Amino acid sequence: MDNLRTAGESGNELRRIVRINEEIKSVVATAFKINLMAMNAIFLAKRAGQSALGFGVLSNELRRFATDLQQQMSTLRETTYGSVSTVTSLLKQARTSRILNRTRKESDPAGRVIVDQLLRQRDLSTLARSKEQLAALNRRLSQMIADTTQLVELGSVLARSAKIEAAYGGGFSASLMQVSSDFERTIGDIQHSLEKLTKHHGDSRA
Amino acid sequence: MKTARVIFEDGAHKWLAIVRDSTRPEFIIDTNEYLVISDGDAILLDPGGAEIFPAVFSAISTSFDPRRINKIFSSHQDPDVISSLAMWLEFNPEIKCYLSWMWQGFIPHFGGGADTFVPIPDNGMDIVLGSQRMQAIPAHYLHSSGNLNFYDPKAKILFSGDVGAALLPPGDDNLFVENFDQHIRHAEAFHRRWMGSEKAKRDWCTRVSGLDIEMMCPQHGAIYRGADVRRFIDWFSRLDIGVLKS
Ligand SMILES: [Fe+2]
Ligand SMILES: [Fe+2]
Repeated sequence: MDNLRTAGESGNELRRIVRINEEIKSVVATAFKINLMAMNAIFLAKRAGQSALGFGVLSNELRRFATDLQQQMSTLRETTYGSVSTVTSLLKQARTSRILNRTRKESDPAGRVIVDQLLRQRDLSTLARSKEQLAALNRRLSQMIADTTQLVELGSVLARSAKIEAAYGGGFSASLMQVSSDFERTIGDIQHSLEKLTKHHGDSRA
Repeated sequence: MKTARVIFEDGAHKWLAIVRDSTRPEFIIDTNEYLVISDGDAILLDPGGAEIFPAVFSAISTSFDPRRINKIFSSHQDPDVISSLAMWLEFNPEIKCYLSWMWQGFIPHFGGGADTFVPIPDNGMDIVLGSQRMQAIPAHYLHSSGNLNFYDPKAKILFSGDVGAALLPPGDDNLFVENFDQHIRHAEAFHRRWMGSEKAKRDWCTRVSGLDIEMMCPQHGAIYRGADVRRFIDWFSRLDIGVLKS
């Protein structure tokens, strides 16, 4: 039966969105560290002064990157919150569909005709609307994941350059190297989470 | 599977009792639903929980088009009474739900919008059904603090909600009380624990004693007929209530 499948599908969709939300949370948590690291890099660059001019320029870029990332993360978090209400309304509809399908099964022909009519109506109106909502949510998520991936790619380039500049840091070389490596590792962590997110997001839509 | 049984019929005025769901899972309390039809107008009394909706719907649809139910009476706010509201609204979004003013802000959690509810004041009100006037009778604190019974003066039937409810053992499937003394044992523990106010109990006994009742229909268990109605009122008036099992 068509509606039975719809009910099952929306159950899967719900679990998927909940999982994606959890993954987004882990990206946001990791990205939070970036800000502290950028501050630390600026502080070190100031202390190094003349002996690490190249790193000084880069540390400002790192700071700007950290701000952009933070901005991106708060948009991502908003979408996550917004998706909860979509998920909730889908959950309610899934329950209604489940009970309607049971009603259909338990009814005699006269009752079944009435239930079938309602199920057809629901397919056209309520379910169509929530499918649309879900599709919009998915598009928004795709766009955001793509934007974030691109931004983090820039962070990765910055981290590599910072490591190179750190080598010219004279007496501060070791500590500059330390902060650049931490930065690079954290970016790596975010990239890893994003890859998982992209995969899960893409998986079920294929 | 529940069945719909006609318990009163006079021309276009009819009572259906939807009773006994033997396929219902043990962990859900068994409930009775009643459909009163008068000249094509139809009110469903305590439509039941969302989980038993399929059983109630299918039982009704064997003899009446469920989409024509345009009123619902909710004796109080319990989930076994009214959590199926959203499902009924799927079939007829125009349904009006009559219930104590106290629960008007609570029941929308089960479904319904701003136009769904008709609040019943504490002293009750008349509900027009077809060409008849039904009465919402105060039964507050028995057990719910905002609780009403439904009286049909034409059929002389009182729907008493949780008052008179009996939790019958499996297999005890009679539609009507056949042996009052045996039956009432299954009602005793429930009334002692669920009903909390001696004063409310006395008020109720006095109020319903003034009504001409041929049948008293509770939300759980068998229906009281004839002399058993008086027997129940007498029994209840003497019962010590508001006590925890020790
Ligand atoms: Fe109750
Ligand atoms: Fe009840």
